[in-house]
Amino acid sequence: MMYLEYAIFQRALLGCVFIGLLGGLIGVFVVKMRLSTIGYSMSHSAFAGAALGVALSVDPLLTAIIFSATTAFFIGPAADKARLPIDTITSIAFSLNMALAFIFLTFSPQIGLSSEVASVLWGSIVSVTNRDLVYLIALCSITLALIYLFWKELFTIMFDRKMAEADGINTKIFVYFMIFLAGLIVALSLKIVGGLLVYALLFNPASSALQYLHDMRKIIFLSPIIGAASCIAGFFTSLFLDIPVGSCIALISTLIFAVSVIFSPKRKRRWRNED
Amino acid sequence: MAPIIELRDVSTVYEGEKRPAIRDVNLTFEEGEFAYVIGPNAAGKTTLLETINGLLPIFKGRISVLNLDVQKYGKQVRCQIGYVPQDFMVDPGEPYTALDAVLMGRYGKIGVIGRPSREDKEKAIEAMRLLEIEDLANKPVGKLSGGQQQKVMIARAIAKEPKILLLDEPFSNLDPESRDKISKLIAQTSSERNLTTIIVTHDLHQIVDSCSRTIVMNSGRIIADCELRKALALIEKWYFPGFWRHSG
Ligand SMILES: Nc1ncnc2c1ncn2[C@@H]1O[C@H](COP(=O)(O)OP(=O)(O)O)[C@@H](O)[C@H]1O
Ligand SMILES: [Mg+2]
Repeated sequence: MMYLEYAIFQRALLGCVFIGLLGGLIGVFVVKMRLSTIGYSMSHSAFAGAALGVALSVDPLLTAIIFSATTAFFIGPAADKARLPIDTITSIAFSLNMALAFIFLTFSPQIGLSSEVASVLWGSIVSVTNRDLVYLIALCSITLALIYLFWKELFTIMFDRKMAEADGINTKIFVYFMIFLAGLIVALSLKIVGGLLVYALLFNPASSALQYLHDMRKIIFLSPIIGAASCIAGFFTSLFLDIPVGSCIALISTLIFAVSVIFSPKRKRRWRNED
Repeated sequence: MAPIIELRDVSTVYEGEKRPAIRDVNLTFEEGEFAYVIGPNAAGKTTLLETINGLLPIFKGRISVLNLDVQKYGKQVRCQIGYVPQDFMVDPGEPYTALDAVLMGRYGKIGVIGRPSREDKEKAIEAMRLLEIEDLANKPVGKLSGGQQQKVMIARAIAKEPKILLLDEPFSNLDPESRDKISKLIAQTSSERNLTTIIVTHDLHQIVDSCSRTIVMNSGRIIADCELRKALALIEKWYFPGFWRHSG
C-alpha cells in the first residue's frame, strides 16, 4: 500500500470513487429513462472529441464536452420523435465517432503512444489532476441536489414517460437535463476509464442494481455503491497487475453484473401471480 | 356556461403520416357529462382521447378544455385530467409498488419541487380502497395480473382528483364480474364528484345505461353521436353489420 502515500495515487483513488458514484447514480436514470442508446453515442463522441483535443493540444475535457453535447443535440430530438430507428442512428454514429477518434489520434503531436493518447484510449490513473477532482466533486454535489429536488418528477418519468406527460409533468426538460448530465459525466470520466469503456460506467452498475431490488429508492443508493466499488477494485487491480484501469473497472463491473443476474431474486420467480 | 371540452374542426396527423388519424371532429362536452366512444379498431378512438389531453399536437382546428387552449396550456389541462391509457402493462421487474404508481397520479398537481404530503398518500390509498386493491399496495406493480394493473391505473386516475376522466378501454383485461363492478363504480364516482367522463370501450355490454351518450367513430370520423339505443340501431343497420356481436 505504499503507493497510497503519493498524492498522485490518492487523487487517482478519489477520482475513481467519484466517477463510480456519479456513473452509478446517473446510470439508473439513463437506463430507466431509456436513454442508453444516447448515452452510448455520447460516450463515443466524447472519445472522438478528446482525441481531437489531444491532436490540437487543447484541453481534451473541453473538446469531449463539446462533442458529446453536439451528439446529444442531434441524436436527442431524433430519438425523442423516433423519426429514424434509434439503432440505425447509434450504429452510424458509433462508426463515425471511432473513425474520427482514430484519425485524430494519428495526428496527435507526439510520436507513438504518448501518455495523453493512452489516457484517452484506455484510461490512466496517473492523469487525475486536482482540477479534475474539483470538477468531479462539484458535479457530484449538483447531481445529488437536482435528484433530491426533482425526485418526484424523475421517479414518475422513469416509470413511464408518456404517463408522466399525461399527469401534467413537463418531461422534456427533465429528460434533456439528464442527457446533459450524462454527457458531462462521460466527458469527466473519460480520462480515467478511457474513451472506449466509459459507457460501462453508466450502464453496468445501474443494470446490476436493477437486478436485485424492487424498490427504486433503494436502487438509487445501491447503484452508486456498486459503481464506486467497481472503480475502487479496478483501481487496485490495475495498480497491482499493471494493466489499464479502464479495462479493470469494466471487467469488474461486468463480473458484478453477471453475478447479479445469476443471483437476481427477480429471475428466480418466473411465473406471475395471477388473480 | 361554456362547455368543459370543445373541439372545433379538429384533425390530428401522426408524425410522418399523411392521412389524419381523426378528421374534422366537432364535439362538445358539458361539465359532468358521461359519454362512451365506440368504433372498430383504428377508428381513431385513442387518438381522440390523446388529442383532447394534448398529448398529440393537432394539425388543424381548435380545442379548449376547461376554457384553456390545449395546444398552449397542455400541462395545466393535463393536471386536471385523469387518463387511463389503453393496454398499459408494466414489466414484472419494474421497481415500483402499486402504491407508488397510484400516488404518482398526484405528482403533476403537486407541482415541481413540492413534496407529496400525508394527505396525498391518503388520497392514493383511498382510491385503491375504492377499487378494492388496497391490499396490493406494497406489491411490485409489474407482478400484478393484467386486470389488477388495470385497476391500479384506474385508481391512479381517480386519486388525482381530476375534473375530467378519459378512460381508454379500461375493462379490457378484467373478468366479466369485475367489469360490471368497475364500470358501475366509475359511473357512480363520476356522478358523485361531477366528473366529465369519456370512456372508450369495445364492450357494449358494459354500458350501464342505454340512454348514455354514445359517440360512434369510424375511419377517423364521428359517424354518430346519440343515445346508445339509437347508436346500436344505426351501427347494426348502416355501418358494420355484426359489429355488435363481434365486439362482445
Ligand atoms: N403512433 C402512431 N403513428 C402513426 N399512426 C398511428 C399511430 N397510432 C395510431 N395510428 C393510426 O391512427 C389511426 C387511429 O388509431 P387509434 O386512434 O389507435 O384507433 P383506435 O384506438 O380506435 O383503435 C389508425 O389508422 C392507426 O394506424
Ligand atoms: Mg385504441
